[in-house]
Amino acid sequence: MYKMLVIGLSAGGTPLIRQLLSALPKNYSLPIAIVAHLPEDHPNHLDKVLDAVTDLPVRTARDKEPIITGHVYIAPSGYHLLIERNHHFALSHDKKVKCVRPSIDVLFGSAAEVFENNLIAVILSGANSDGADGVAMVKKLGGLCIVLNPEDTVFNTMPNAVIRAAEVDYIASIEDIISLLVCVDEK
Amino acid sequence: MSALIKWKNHHIEDVEVNLLLHALNERYGYDFTGYAKASLKRRLLELVSYFDIEHLSQLIPIMLYDEAVAQTVINSISVPTSDFFRDPFVWLHLRTHVLPELASFPRINIWQAGCGHGQEVYSLAILLHELGLAKKSHIFCTDINPEFLDDAKKGCWSTRNADIWRENYQKSGGNGTLSDFFIEQENKMFIRANYKQNIEFIQHNLVIDDVFKEVQLVICRNVLLYFGTDLQNHVLTLFTRSLERGGYLLLGRGENILNLKEQHLQLELRDTSLQLYRKTMDMDSNV
Repeated sequence: MYKMLVIGLSAGGTPLIRQLLSALPKNYSLPIAIVAHLPEDHPNHLDKVLDAVTDLPVRTARDKEPIITGHVYIAPSGYHLLIERNHHFALSHDKKVKCVRPSIDVLFGSAAEVFENNLIAVILSGANSDGADGVAMVKKLGGLCIVLNPEDTVFNTMPNAVIRAAEVDYIASIEDIISLLVCVDEK
Repeated sequence: MSALIKWKNHHIEDVEVNLLLHALNERYGYDFTGYAKASLKRRLLELVSYFDIEHLSQLIPIMLYDEAVAQTVINSISVPTSDFFRDPFVWLHLRTHVLPELASFPRINIWQAGCGHGQEVYSLAILLHELGLAKKSHIFCTDINPEFLDDAKKGCWSTRNADIWRENYQKSGGNGTLSDFFIEQENKMFIRANYKQNIEFIQHNLVIDDVFKEVQLVICRNVLLYFGTDLQNHVLTLFTRSLERGGYLLLGRGENILNLKEQHLQLELRDTSLQLYRKTMDMDSNV
């Protein structure tokens, strides 16, 4: 029933997303879009880092590109990543939201509107509150919301902010998040 | 009669966005209906809190009768954020490859489409001066929005981002200092007059206006992102027609021509990360 997985992370999130992606089976079908806060105007190497740990195809999301099943997409540095009604990606250079671009709130908000209850949103770790509004929107439109247990990271501002902003479905360890994500794709 | 169906608010908002765009087009002749919807909707919904209204559609009657409100709406749709020498590696490539190559043309006409607050067009003017090409160059700087054009023409910015601009400039291969280009006064930076000499500011709407000049370089960064696929194709055809054979088209590094090989036979991709294209020398292919 789920059609799309969106993941947001900031400080401390890179090892977690590596662990997560490396544990997904190579026939994992949900397309995955990731927003990670990276320095603007620097080449984005997260795609290479993640490509090395998974058999799933990893690429930087491009404007107007259709979303393909089983692919992993990363928001390019310096641009917001959004999803259009026709399930194509859109980039924007609009002003920063909560001082960041790409913004997790922007991706999650637009994905929630398109996928409604067919969306899964995951927040890992981070030192700011980006993601809180986005997860609240996902929850409001019926999506499944999963947050890393704030006790599992020193960068817990983001998961804590999300838990305050929305009645999330799961607060879980990274191992349990992986099990959940594998389980929902097998259904 | 069957009962009316309840809709979720975000679907109703989509209706409001479309109604507002049609009103703006009919009343003021600004056609934004071909814009990419997801980010456009985000920008428009910010007006709801700005004007302290409950629903976006409440803005329509106000906007129809009040030109100042309409201008605010139009300004919020176009996105004039830029920096001097943004994405320095792109400017470095212009400096070391594209402009030296264009130097072989007797005249260099450049179309800078979408002027923002002018940072981009003056970055270009600085490069042309440093390469000794200013005298043979002419820049046509266009924008749909006359307010942005006036602003760019003034050539004045806050010094707030000066450190970023200096760093960008140096990374783009520049050896000068910012004071070579700007006069600083009370937290403002004014571009020196000689960098304005060969720039012509023209109001031009990429949606409805035609090609106006043959050029050797088109720079249009982070504009096509905001257009839907059909409008993007229309504008790319316009740029291609405007370009002399062998001329270059530079888009924003996040942009992407999805159907290059099917629809834009005369454009060849020179570099994906720069989003640099060249109009082919081939006489047989059609636009």
